[in-house]
Amino acid sequence: MSALNELSSLARRRGAATPTRKGDARAAALFLLPWFLGLALITAGPLVASAYLSFTDYNLLQAPSFVGLENFSRMLEDTRLHQSLAVTLVYVAVSVPLQLAAALGLALLLDRGMRGLAFYRSAFYLPSLMGGSVAIALLWRQVFGKEGLVNLVLGWFGIEGQGWVSHPDYALGTLILLQVWMFGAPMVIFLAGLRQIPDMYYEAASLDGASRVRQFASVTIPLLTPIIFFNLVLQVINSFQSFTQAYVVSGGTGGPADSTLFYTLYLYQEGFRNLNMGYASAMAWLLLAIIAGLTAVNFFASKYWVFYSD
Amino acid sequence: MSLLSRTTPPSPRGGPPAGGTRLGRAVRTTAVLAATALTLAACGGGSDDAGAGDPTGGDGDVTIRFAWWGSDTRHRVTQQALDLFEEKNPGITVEADFTSWAGYFDKLNTAVAGGDTPDVITLEERFIAEYADNGVIADLEEVGLDLDGIEDDYVDLGRIGGTLYALPSGVNVHAYVVDPQIVADAGLEVPDDTTWTWDEFAGFVTAVADGTEDGVYGVQNFGFLDPILQIWLRQHEESLFTEDGGLGFDVDTVADWYAYLLELQRAGAMPDASKAEEVQAAGVEQSLVATNTGALSAFWSNQLPALTTSSGRELGLLRVPGEQEHSQPGMYLKASMNYAVSAKSDPARQEAAAKLIDFLVNDPDAGRLILSDRGLPVNADVLAAIEDELEPADRIGAEFLTDLRDELRPSPTVPPAGAGELPDIMLRLASEVFFERITPHEAAERFTTELGNAIS
Repeated sequence: MSALNELSSLARRRGAATPTRKGDARAAALFLLPWFLGLALITAGPLVASAYLSFTDYNLLQAPSFVGLENFSRMLEDTRLHQSLAVTLVYVAVSVPLQLAAALGLALLLDRGMRGLAFYRSAFYLPSLMGGSVAIALLWRQVFGKEGLVNLVLGWFGIEGQGWVSHPDYALGTLILLQVWMFGAPMVIFLAGLRQIPDMYYEAASLDGASRVRQFASVTIPLLTPIIFFNLVLQVINSFQSFTQAYVVSGGTGGPADSTLFYTLYLYQEGFRNLNMGYASAMAWLLLAIIAGLTAVNFFASKYWVFYSD
Repeated sequence: MSLLSRTTPPSPRGGPPAGGTRLGRAVRTTAVLAATALTLAACGGGSDDAGAGDPTGGDGDVTIRFAWWGSDTRHRVTQQALDLFEEKNPGITVEADFTSWAGYFDKLNTAVAGGDTPDVITLEERFIAEYADNGVIADLEEVGLDLDGIEDDYVDLGRIGGTLYALPSGVNVHAYVVDPQIVADAGLEVPDDTTWTWDEFAGFVTAVADGTEDGVYGVQNFGFLDPILQIWLRQHEESLFTEDGGLGFDVDTVADWYAYLLELQRAGAMPDASKAEEVQAAGVEQSLVATNTGALSAFWSNQLPALTTSSGRELGLLRVPGEQEHSQPGMYLKASMNYAVSAKSDPARQEAAAKLIDFLVNDPDAGRLILSDRGLPVNADVLAAIEDELEPADRIGAEFLTDLRDELRPSPTVPPAGAGELPDIMLRLASEVFFERITPHEAAERFTTELGNAIS
């Protein structure tokens, strides 16, 4: 406890002792400048542009023309948009809890301090570095193909498998599995969180005769809720924006029969392939609104289940 | 300074209880920031600068950019042709700008939007109208192009309302590629394709599937392919699009087409829906005839060499059935690729661009390099010059086209803007029908609505 406090009070004393606070501020501004430039040019500029474009009819080839709310009213009747929302919501609602459960489960295992921990941690983290890549998506398509690895293994047990990726009932399932497989990033955060829980709680609990399960339910989970919350928010946002997997696995179509038509994929199709960039921009803002809304709900709900140990 | 202590990351090993507070706040802060940054980053946009680069390098030297799509073979061959062109035309430098088919139009559209239009653009016919309507491509007759060696019906493939926007790189025709060995394995003979009806076709492919081992089929599912649907419609005196850019077909004709295909699938003449989907997505090399697992697959005639190589067998071409069945035949010539010139380039570059197209289409030396890679040459002299150098599979294609030429009715006019969505719509509805999630008639109705929306 003391280390941090001392560090900050040291910094505070130093700060008071420095004659030119202005100099500090200038240096800070200088160091922040690259980030601000990036924000202004790469993020804020396009953001403002897309806000404008969402009220226009823009086919990329000619200058945009203002159409008011037409893009937004078109959304109400666009059945493919509704399909893409349904696909994406199912994807998020199924993959995020599964992924977090997998991440927490493995973090608990690794937290018991086994030998070669560093190796396992890296090994499990690897998929979340690679999982969003084209190479893995291509591999996935092979593995879950009609003559792929999965069906080969099923064949040993006398089961004749489907072409998982090419069947509208199962294609989304393979993408969910891919997302769950990328549990490494939340796992590492869970691991750090588990290390934060002081041993004395467990000692006290075991002195009181609490079983392992009871300790997990009454000590680990409550103290871990801020981390669970953090992972939940991040993963919800991340999975709403998944694109590469669906693009590569379906060859850019969102097929079969629109069963893997992620929202971002449909947005891309509309913008760059069907030349409706105005509509695509409006879709991007709808996505922002949805994600912001869900995140707000998450934060609101967190009052009731996230426990900050003050 | 208090900021420092608040956002200090949690210490890695068992920190103090009070750490919970800091961690909690840090987590909340980070989550808010991450939420904002991640969502906003998703909403990009395009700019509308029309800033063309420096067109000339002084001394009358011109650099032009040539964009095309295709395989590695095409890129290699085209680069050789471009080297030869530069040799013959000192002062003109050609920059190659190529990519695979999958990403080609996404990239091209973005380049045009960014004011970075290539000088010579290769277009698929479904995009010609889009580019012409929006003033991206120029009138080829005004930039000075030699059309003397090319027959009018070929030239007209790129004409919209009298204006010539594009010139075919070569032509081909959609037909069925046949593997005679599988037909023989089934104890059958390759039927006479000049007279066969759709019923005879169905009987034939079903008999092939019945007469061969499991996993070998009569025909690859062609319900994903708009050219065959177009032929079906033309045989019924209809067409996908009318000349004035509307829809040119009856819902029932399309419903019949889906019903016909569904029957073939149910009879086992075609693979099941899941396998069909997979084969379709895998492309030319994984098609049924390429993998010796089907007697027929529908393809463009210039894909015969690639299929022949993959299959390791001698393959042939058959006419689409029903050409004599109804009031008129439906097969048609199509430009494999179309050359167009950017309307945004300055006159010097347009002139150089016209020279390049002229060279690619009319120069026998270029023809000898390109051969049939961009379709069968449209210039008769070029065709005569390369005939002896064609691979056997190419020669089969060339003969097939020559035999067919007189039977063909004029090709469909250039499809209207928005027709680029057609293949995606076909793919989507074919999946729905073949997985039997909707009826053929529902599919036909959705096809009409969705295609209508795309071109409106």
